[in-house]
Amino acid sequence: MKLMRTSDIAQRPVVTLSGEDLAQIKDVVYTADGGSVSGFTLSGRGLLAGPLKEGLAWSSITALGADAVMIADGHALQPTEAELDTSRGSAGSHGNVLGSQVLTEDGVGLGTVHDVVVSVDATGGGQCDVVGYEIVASEHLGTQGEKVLIPLPDTMAVSGEHLMVPASVQEFVGEDLAGFGAAVERFRAQLGSTER
Amino acid sequence: MKFSEAKGRKVVDVSTADTVGKVRGFLVDAESRSVVALRLKKTDHGDVLRWGALASVGVDAITIADPTAITELDDELKALRGKRRRMTKKRVLSTGGDELGHVADVEFDPATGALTYILLHHGAEIAAERLMGIGSYAVVVRAEPPTL
Repeated sequence: MKLMRTSDIAQRPVVTLSGEDLAQIKDVVYTADGGSVSGFTLSGRGLLAGPLKEGLAWSSITALGADAVMIADGHALQPTEAELDTSRGSAGSHGNVLGSQVLTEDGVGLGTVHDVVVSVDATGGGQCDVVGYEIVASEHLGTQGEKVLIPLPDTMAVSGEHLMVPASVQEFVGEDLAGFGAAVERFRAQLGSTER
Repeated sequence: MKFSEAKGRKVVDVSTADTVGKVRGFLVDAESRSVVALRLKKTDHGDVLRWGALASVGVDAITIADPTAITELDDELKALRGKRRRMTKKRVLSTGGDELGHVADVEFDPATGALTYILLHHGAEIAAERLMGIGSYAVVVRAEPPTL
């Protein structure tokens, strides 16, 4: 599982396979349920460039790497669809989770969301799954004030204010992205077995 | 042979034994992964020499049979010139979106003009068959499949 913080994806150049940089990532756009990334809004390259009216759907991305977002050619940039618009950032109720409080099902606040962690290796038809949040830990995690990673279930309840996670998430808290993928898999496997 | 070695080499007319020019740069076609023409320091006739017009690329000189082969840039070659199409010093991105380094030099086969290796500043070599494109932002090469 190749993981990335969405804050690291912002500003990354969008480059064609012929080596031209056509745009850069402005914002991440989530699907309506918040469980995966549907695409990105774009801005022009350079300091003075403003936002572009074209967006980039996840399905038209060749690869999302450490240094660039690769696309086949300029056809990947399409005028932003209504679908992208409705779920964008702070506009949708599930869009902007940054700053929301993470609550366990038994009512313990674990912290506030600082960043979103996505799994980016499923290009070419797969989903860009939201697998975790980086949160600023509350006193209940024993590492108050520090940034920690918590894995997320496939689906969960999200309001503009709170995110509900199973209490067992506390057993799978991670500190850096290395090894966090395995924690997500163990967490989801455990959830799967208890639900059955 | 490397670009850096061939650069500055003189171009000699076989029929007269005169030096007719000096290599200044290379026009590379990413699709065929080869050198399609040499740019020369300005001569009387022009500054472009197509690869097909070369008699031989030798260690000390590049020979040509017919000096009229040196021409001005035509439209086809214009698309390949300039900073946007230059390889050296440009960043190298894999198709996976990871930066691999910067191009230090390029190696080509002096018999055919085909590129053989892209040499990176930190010493790594990339087989030229992985070349996908040369653009204003980056030279793009195919990502290597993960070794299992």
